Amino acid sequence: MTPTIPELLGACAAALSKPVRAEDAGAFADARLQTVATINLLVAQECATAVAVRLWENAALRAVLMQAATGYGAAFGEAAKIDDGELSLSALDEANFRLRRLLIRLHEAAEAAVDEAMDRKILALYRDMAERRTLTLPARPATKDV
Amino acid sequence: MSSLGSGDSLCTRLEQFLSTLWNDKIRVHNLSRIPGGVSRETYRFDAQTNDGVQGLILRRDPVGSLIDTDRQVEFLAYKSFFGSVPVAEPVVLEPDSGPLERPFFIMKRIDGGVAARPFEREPYGLHAASIGAALFAHLGRIARSDPAALPLGQRLPSLEAASCWREALDHWEAIILRDERHPQPIVRAALRRLRRNPPPAAAKVSVVHGDYRSGNFLHDGQGHIKGILDWEMVHLGDPLEDLAWCCDPLWNHFDERRVAGTISEDAAIAIWERESGLRLDPEAFKWWRLFSTVKGQAIWTTAAKELLADNSNLALAISGYYPARRHDVIIADTLARLVEEGWR
Repeated sequence: MTPTIPELLGACAAALSKPVRAEDAGAFADARLQTVATINLLVAQECATAVAVRLWENAALRAVLMQAATGYGAAFGEAAKIDDGELSLSALDEANFRLRRLLIRLHEAAEAAVDEAMDRKILALYRDMAERRTLTLPARPATKDV
Repeated sequence: MSSLGSGDSLCTRLEQFLSTLWNDKIRVHNLSRIPGGVSRETYRFDAQTNDGVQGLILRRDPVGSLIDTDRQVEFLAYKSFFGSVPVAEPVVLEPDSGPLERPFFIMKRIDGGVAARPFEREPYGLHAASIGAALFAHLGRIARSDPAALPLGQRLPSLEAASCWREALDHWEAIILRDERHPQPIVRAALRRLRRNPPPAAAKVSVVHGDYRSGNFLHDGQGHIKGILDWEMVHLGDPLEDLAWCCDPLWNHFDERRVAGTISEDAAIAIWERESGLRLDPEAFKWWRLFSTVKGQAIWTTAAKELLADNSNLALAISGYYPARRHDVIIADTLARLVEEGWR
């Protein structure tokens, strides 16, 4: 998993709180501030959709797993019982953790069974999962200081 | 001047170390940390000797690291390629923690160059074609070199051509399984696919830089590469590993038409083939392209884990975040395409 939002913002705060050593002044200190700015921009993007993305992903995983229960075993039907708790990010991530583990098992089983339809369905799901978590970096001009 | 644990500054310690090494009275000026790189702390400085001023670079082991690497191997890489491809001239390797609190090495500084930031747009401007030509020509020369004839060859464990892919995959898979904090079905699927569709044996066992890409070389702003940087992941392996890593979409500066933000993939491969003397096997290259995404995801997975122990390390924070998200998209796209092309 990528670092959580509290971990990312905590890293920014901790880095900014550290005293700057003489040898860290200049380019290193500038880069540190740029990285803090970039992380904050990315976290802002993430926050705008974090709950929606996780709700969607958990629902999509549940649907695939529950549909697979008929052919691949009742264990996958257990996905129905994994709920999103109080809808905090940590609760959604906890549910996502359990659902993703089941999805890995299902994909392994589908591959072992040479179930091409299920394989492609899961691969398409991966594409959607990854796309919905995409972050966009702000455009930045090329480095000029040679 | 700042104070290290012992009470002596890094600057003072460097002066003491170099004075002893060169049996001269050395003064260190303009000591300044360079951003980028999480496997070593990198500093630039000027050493004033009785004969004049030398521009130098210090590479010191970090307290914690994104990847565990062997500084001696990195130092030997500079020794091996100095004179044949543009790299800094190595000066001294110090494995003892005493002089600067952590082991380190020093090399001569290459002035007048800049490294592109990996995620900026059009970093090479009008000189992209000449940078690309040089980038892939140098990589071809590294692939062409005979490891046994290099200082590196004496240090790195030997490897069979048929084992290159498995060694590499085992290594990075173990890291993903060790460091994963949250299940990653996309990279897990890629790992299984790589095992089910192994590539042919390497055309030859070569020195593999390990992190050869845009952002890991100095250029002069006029289309010339002045120095290949960051050899800390150097090892023996299939030369396609470096080529595929350099061509990974993560490093394309958001330009899908050009690899490493420089030239087309076809042009890059043609230059690499000419300089390496090797023929690229397209099927093998597909494997190494997917492998590159897995290797990347392993590095980002470790960064996210290491951030827990080093919670103010911004390099770990950003490495574990943005590139991990992009690599998931790249892996998912690549898997879907390979299955369409008949991968099992």
